Amino acid sequence: MASGCLAKVVFSDAKHNFLIHYLAAIGLLLVSPVVFGFSGLDERLAAIPLEIISPILGIILMTPVFMPEQNENIYDVVRSKKTSHTLVCFMRILLSAFITALLVGGLSLYMRCSDSQVTARLFASALISALALGALGVFSSALGDSALIGYMVSASYLVMDMFLHSKLKRFNLFTFSDGGTQINLWLAAAAAILITAALILRKYRR
Amino acid sequence: MLFNKECKKILLSLTFWIYSILVVIMFAENYYSEAKYPISKPAKGGSDYGLMVREDPELIMEGASASLMSDFASNRYVCYPYGFYKAVSLDKEDRDKVEEYVTEITAWDHDEILKQIDSADVYYMEHGFSTFPGYEFESVNIDKNMTYERYKEIMADIDDILGGGSAYKVDTLASRYSLVPMTYEDAVKEYEDSISEDTVTGSLARLFSDYTGIDLAFIPVFAAAALVAADRRRKMTELVYSRNISSLKLTFIRYGALVAMMFIPVFLTMIAAAIQAGEVYGDEPLKMHYMFTTTTFWLLPELMVVTAVGMFLTEFFSAGFAVAAQGAWSFLSLMSCGDKLSGNITKFCLICRHNTLYDRSAFMETYNDFVFNRIFYMVLALVMVLAAAYVYHLKRGGRFNGIRLFGKGSLFRRKA
Amino acid sequence: MDNSIIIRKMNKYYGRKQALFDIDLTIEQGMFGLLGRNGAGKTTLMKTLAALHKKKDGKITVCGVPIEKEREIRAMIGYLPQDFSMYPNMRTDEALDYLGALSGIPKDVRKKRVNSLLRKVNLQEHRRKKVKQLSGGMKRRLGIAQALLHDPKVLIVDEPTAGLDPEERIRFRNLLCEVAEDRIVILSTHIVADIEASCEQVAIMDSGRILWHGTVSQLLANARGHIYSANVEKKFIDQIKREYIVTGILTQNEYTTVRLVSEAEPDLPNTVLTDPDLEDAYMYCLTKGGEE
Repeated sequence: MASGCLAKVVFSDAKHNFLIHYLAAIGLLLVSPVVFGFSGLDERLAAIPLEIISPILGIILMTPVFMPEQNENIYDVVRSKKTSHTLVCFMRILLSAFITALLVGGLSLYMRCSDSQVTARLFASALISALALGALGVFSSALGDSALIGYMVSASYLVMDMFLHSKLKRFNLFTFSDGGTQINLWLAAAAAILITAALILRKYRR
Repeated sequence: MLFNKECKKILLSLTFWIYSILVVIMFAENYYSEAKYPISKPAKGGSDYGLMVREDPELIMEGASASLMSDFASNRYVCYPYGFYKAVSLDKEDRDKVEEYVTEITAWDHDEILKQIDSADVYYMEHGFSTFPGYEFESVNIDKNMTYERYKEIMADIDDILGGGSAYKVDTLASRYSLVPMTYEDAVKEYEDSISEDTVTGSLARLFSDYTGIDLAFIPVFAAAALVAADRRRKMTELVYSRNISSLKLTFIRYGALVAMMFIPVFLTMIAAAIQAGEVYGDEPLKMHYMFTTTTFWLLPELMVVTAVGMFLTEFFSAGFAVAAQGAWSFLSLMSCGDKLSGNITKFCLICRHNTLYDRSAFMETYNDFVFNRIFYMVLALVMVLAAAYVYHLKRGGRFNGIRLFGKGSLFRRKA
Repeated sequence: MDNSIIIRKMNKYYGRKQALFDIDLTIEQGMFGLLGRNGAGKTTLMKTLAALHKKKDGKITVCGVPIEKEREIRAMIGYLPQDFSMYPNMRTDEALDYLGALSGIPKDVRKKRVNSLLRKVNLQEHRRKKVKQLSGGMKRRLGIAQALLHDPKVLIVDEPTAGLDPEERIRFRNLLCEVAEDRIVILSTHIVADIEASCEQVAIMDSGRILWHGTVSQLLANARGHIYSANVEKKFIDQIKREYIVTGILTQNEYTTVRLVSEAEPDLPNTVLTDPDLEDAYMYCLTKGGEE
């Protein structure tokens, strides 16, 4: 029963509050062939478009998870209900992460079918970069209590990383583009910590 | 005064501080760490002074034609239309067009071309999961009637067929196929050019503007969108609408406050850069004003236009739309310079790049375009603010309610 | 099972600022009115009872359940905040369905409840409208419907009639009285008429403290003997206002009838001792700081 209700809540959220973000993400994927070449790339060259597009998908899909309750009055109404609001937010994050994985996976498959060397580790690495940057968006939107702040911080980080690359050391999102061949678990850990911190912040929001 | 109050509002906003932090980090990590190494005079008797571009038609035609033959033979052209790798293969029709051009350049007919390809050196290169035959042509025949002017026309057409950003883009032909080793004299001239014409601060100002211009192309839109959307978020729209200040005045005051406040961190980094220049080049006569004049002329129009477009789009559509649109514009502008980061300033590029302390002559060649560009964006900025004020005026009078892309009454669901 | 809310020695802080002081209150089944000026602490108390704010110390039990058990409390409580808002792009029935799911109501039950509540609050015709298209009164009715969805034992409504037209206000009050038959309804307001028309029990708050609590008739009885009306010339009005608490001024020609609160009979022409109404009683209570 409880899971049925939760599913209803998450589905309804997706339809009313997040559909436009899903469409924006799909739109981004559809126009990306104008800018990027996806065929005949070796692993490192394939990483370039994949590691740029995936984090942007992460930003678009994950950052707005707290946006519907930015209005405090709505926040009070949903928080007065039996189902924990933190749990609802967590489910939204899971759904956004799942859709991010789906889209990054779709792009990877498309590239693979276009004769590019998108390996499983490259896919995993790009997905982790997407989740890490998305998690940064989630965290900063919780901290600043505004989705715009979330977008700003995560987009600024992406711009910064495009110019600083290895200066960001373990938190460089462009693992494979910069010649790495290992999945960066630091980013995965950062994503988990940022999401946990965001949920805690959200729970104790005043 | 309202202007001061708006400035204070911006000063207390989170978006302003995030913007400022980013400007400072990017300055410290990019410019400041690079400019601490002084430009030094080349030492006589060195073995390598680097390469320089010298537009030599013969060299260009020779190199570009060999490359074209090789690409044509494998039907695989590597392009960077927006700065990203793209391997283009042509269909029959386009392939035939290119073949006609190859014939015109080399004076080889169809059979001769096939013969040349058969006798070329073949090597295999990786292409994703498969391997691909590549053809090596040491040299190709150039029709003795071929003029450099006609050659450039052909190259422009081929670049067009390939969708731009190819190895045959006219602007980049010289830098690609006509690089010659620098002599000691060339190296000294380049050094003196950087130092004596506008003293070293001219070079430093260009590098500073190059790096800071990247931040200013995107991030200010967040502060602009946040300020415009703040009234709505705090449910203050009607309250502000009902005051007797004119829409034009209010919009311009807010715009002025945004630009003034966001220029402060840029100005502070300019001061830091000037102090650093003073320390690194203490012994040399410096025209320190370049650290402020060149940079301001370079960066202020960019900040102005990004802020103005952000305000207009937020007013007309929404904050999210403004951010997405500015993100796309700045990304495409950044990437369309490709890997050529100097001497590449055009009339309409948002981000003007000159990522080197040298190559003053390349900058001076595009100087007129650069001046046009900056004035154009300054004017565009003012036009956009006027447009934003007009939209605000319409919304205030209830004649317009902004355009939403989705939902009832939106662009996609409006009844005919 | 216990059917009351018991609050003992409860304090609440916002950072270092104390918002509620030693609250002691017992609320039984039926309509309970919480009266006080703006900023008296009513909303803070309501939010604390709805487990939306944490108290600093003291004890609160709602129908025998300590307030710390948030999940259980939320299952028992329906809450309508002062400014009710809902996702603007949802349809009215979708919004209710969504909030019902958040309350953990199974789908088939939810469907029936949504329908019956929409009828009850007279929104049946507007069920397909988006939330943002509803008028202020309709939105408030949607608010009460959402608070009742899970059939809560306690209903907390914060300033529900502020900004409503007289007709909507009466309709809203009647609706509250109806639902108060078998549960606790706490109604916070600064509009005395709302309490007069609907509540048996009432508490008066000021500066984060409960000044007084009891029945409406007790409150009226307290004020009896302290409310006067006098016919005075207009020019004395300002002076009277400075010296007494004036609860009403009615101007007729050059004379004005003033209603005022005073411990002893005031030295004014044509003074008559009057029966207090609830507004007078409330003002008297505020001036006395709750002392009887």
